[in-house]
Amino acid sequence: MLTPVDKGTDGGLLRISADKVGRLMDLIGELSLSVAATVHAPELEGLELPNFEAASHRLSMIMRDVQDAASELRLVEVEEVFKRLRRMIREMERETGKQIEMVSKGADTLIDKLVADRLYEPLLHVLRNSADHGLETTDGRIAAGKSPAGRITLGALQQGNEVRITVEDDGRGLSYDRILAKAQERGLFAPGDKPAPDDLWPVIFQPGFSTASEVSNLSGRGVGMDVLNTALTTLRGRIGISSEAGVGTTVSLHIPLTLSFLDCVILRHGPRLFALPIDMVSEILRPQASSITRISASGAAEVLRQRGETIPVIRLDRPDGSVEPADGILIVATTGSGLMAIAVDEVIDRQQVVMKPLLGRLAELRASWGLALLNNGDVATVLDCERLVRKGAA
Amino acid sequence: MQPTTSTQTKSLQDESLSILTSENLDDMYLSFSLGSEEYAVGISQVVEIVGLPRIMAVPDLPDYIRGVINLRGKVIPLLDVRLRFRMGERAYDERTVVIVMDVDGAPIGLIVDGVTEVREIAPSAIGRNANGAHRGAQSAIYGLGRIEDRIIVILDAAVLTSDCEIVMAEVGAGAKEHA
Repeated sequence: MLTPVDKGTDGGLLRISADKVGRLMDLIGELSLSVAATVHAPELEGLELPNFEAASHRLSMIMRDVQDAASELRLVEVEEVFKRLRRMIREMERETGKQIEMVSKGADTLIDKLVADRLYEPLLHVLRNSADHGLETTDGRIAAGKSPAGRITLGALQQGNEVRITVEDDGRGLSYDRILAKAQERGLFAPGDKPAPDDLWPVIFQPGFSTASEVSNLSGRGVGMDVLNTALTTLRGRIGISSEAGVGTTVSLHIPLTLSFLDCVILRHGPRLFALPIDMVSEILRPQASSITRISASGAAEVLRQRGETIPVIRLDRPDGSVEPADGILIVATTGSGLMAIAVDEVIDRQQVVMKPLLGRLAELRASWGLALLNNGDVATVLDCERLVRKGAA
Repeated sequence: MQPTTSTQTKSLQDESLSILTSENLDDMYLSFSLGSEEYAVGISQVVEIVGLPRIMAVPDLPDYIRGVINLRGKVIPLLDVRLRFRMGERAYDERTVVIVMDVDGAPIGLIVDGVTEVREIAPSAIGRNANGAHRGAQSAIYGLGRIEDRIIVILDAAVLTSDCEIVMAEVGAGAKEHA
């Protein structure tokens, strides 16, 4: 065991630039590939090398520890984001004329620095909504027998591979009737429908959806939620909401712990490799020809009929423009707008990939989140199904 | 596991270090060949030169971006300079190399027939055409360098690697008026 380095007078804290950490992470990635290449060198095949075996085993173990330690370097406390939000509360009090008390829970929860940097904007929108629509006026609160100051609780909690961040207010709760009326007006529910509250609430995250009769400075323009959705897409996060009339509303953001690694299914289509995040994969199947229907009236679109559902089939472009083989494999993926089936030639593997951002010319990849570095050094394009649906093809 | 590419890396530093001590980096160029023509890019943007690694195809990019490579954990798109200039395609051989550059913070690799040398070209030896953007297209040529009796076409890496249309008329024709 190594003895910990003596802590300095400043409590052992160092300020290090993100670039230096990034460089270290790159080098460690390089090192681990070199270690693997050395340990599994083909020349060693069939040789009896007990000392080498023991040493290389130990090397591989240390390598894994170094990788784990390095990924922890980039973790920061979510308090960093909470602190910035807390500064905005005073301004919201002034703009709304309400008294707001802010508390936080689990502020020492660790998240990737890259995630933390991108969380501020979406959380600010949720917070503004709570302050503006959630909390009652001071008079309203006193009349309802509540404390004069409204309370907003920011919470963070790590659950498995994701961090759940909640914004909870003790305000009036969402108005079932107003939201339902608006949703029916927009054709999201049929007139006369009485959806369960938990089924109704998510409609407020639809683009342009706002029930606020007055447009205030803080929110109510129906734009905030768009920003929220966009930010969550880049963070690969999900949003949830619960509410009780007169008691309050809780919005929760589920964000993956790190953006550096992603559990994916690796697919091959023609010469190209693709990766699809595992949590989007609903089913992998080899369809019978009879279960696919071609609709010529709709630009030769195809649908898969599966257990009474019709699922649109997406075909990725082939570089040579050749006709698809009829007997491909379909990956059924869950998207915000329902299921979709992606046709590929082969499902190769499932693995934890290293995510690489789309820099420079690679930013032109439209339906992609980034590139995935596979265990064998290959590179796959990570599919963003939400944008595949809209675009029709990669 | 593919062999690491570092063995193929020809470090620029050793070659250019002796020159760099006395000369200005801004006047240093790395020249390379495309067929019988000689081109150059400013050395300050060049990161390293590597032999051609395995290229992996990606969708949705113009055909002159041949795909990406994994260079020691960095994913770098490769631009085939011949295809960018709509010159004839040529099979890659053992002389084909990739010039890895950093253009405005993003990495990109140029596939060229072969690199020639690192040398200084004084600003006074560079003839510049006064042609900026025209008809929405930009010139990828920064200027024409004169070295003894040779002409080296000095490229503007930012324009070359961008997605804009590039002016083709004056390639290799610096003295001529373009129609």
